[in-house]
Amino acid sequence: MTLPTAPLAIVALGLAALSAVILAWYLVRQPPLVRVTKIWLLLGLGLFPIAAAFAGNVQGFEATKERTFCGSCHVMSLHRDDSDDIASNSLASRHARNPMFGSENCYVCHADYGMFGTVVTKAGGLRHVWLYLTEYRNVTVEASKSTIHLREPQKMNDNCMQCHSTKDSLWLAIPDHRAPLAEERAGSLSCASEGCHGLAHPFFRPARQASARLL
Amino acid sequence: MSQDSRLLSVACVAGLAALALMTWQLFDPRVWPVIVAMSVGQVLGTASFVTYGYVVLAAYRADRRPNTQGHVGSE
Repeated sequence: MTLPTAPLAIVALGLAALSAVILAWYLVRQPPLVRVTKIWLLLGLGLFPIAAAFAGNVQGFEATKERTFCGSCHVMSLHRDDSDDIASNSLASRHARNPMFGSENCYVCHADYGMFGTVVTKAGGLRHVWLYLTEYRNVTVEASKSTIHLREPQKMNDNCMQCHSTKDSLWLAIPDHRAPLAEERAGSLSCASEGCHGLAHPFFRPARQASARLL
Repeated sequence: MSQDSRLLSVACVAGLAALALMTWQLFDPRVWPVIVAMSVGQVLGTASFVTYGYVVLAAYRADRRPNTQGHVGSE
């Protein structure tokens, strides 16, 4: 548990505190329902909490992009620890050390970048919660290495290509990039496969990997 | 205590609970606090505001009703 320092979080806390004071005042004093009481309650039950919820939710959505959030489910602890490890040479850790990814590296690499990407990604996150509750809650970290898998692995290259466009001349000058270009762009050959840049999370072995070229 | 006061007291308690749940996520931004804040917290907060609206609307309608029994409105 940490003290919030983000401006939005402080705004949300301030509004919530104002609201709480008004509600406590009403509960203690039980004033008659005259116009002034209605206005105070409108502030305490309506405007302040709505504004606090809005600021808090925006802050909450931002928090869901953080690696600490993703890693708060035990089956993701290996992924989190690897990204935190400054000595690790995994793709995930190397990207985490890049300020463009930083503490949000899970989100930046796994987000959907379509028109409604944020909403789609958060809806997918709710599926993760459901799967955690129904399938992974009692799975050991060791067992999770071979049971967790990407739902749409063919989409992962799209996310790599958000930065690595596959159109740069220097990139295309590398024969291993150029030869399977169509497969790379289609996502049928993963950038993070063992013959290429290696698994993004090297300790992690999806069950289907043995029979598929995709991560 | 009148029914209006009782309802408003319940709304205030629900509102306080909602505020507690909504601010919990700010101190502990992990999966469950965030999910609880955005579900249970929102539902409780909305319910408390709807209750407030119901009480105020009922009081307003009572005030506008023809005063046939010498009823004095809430204001």
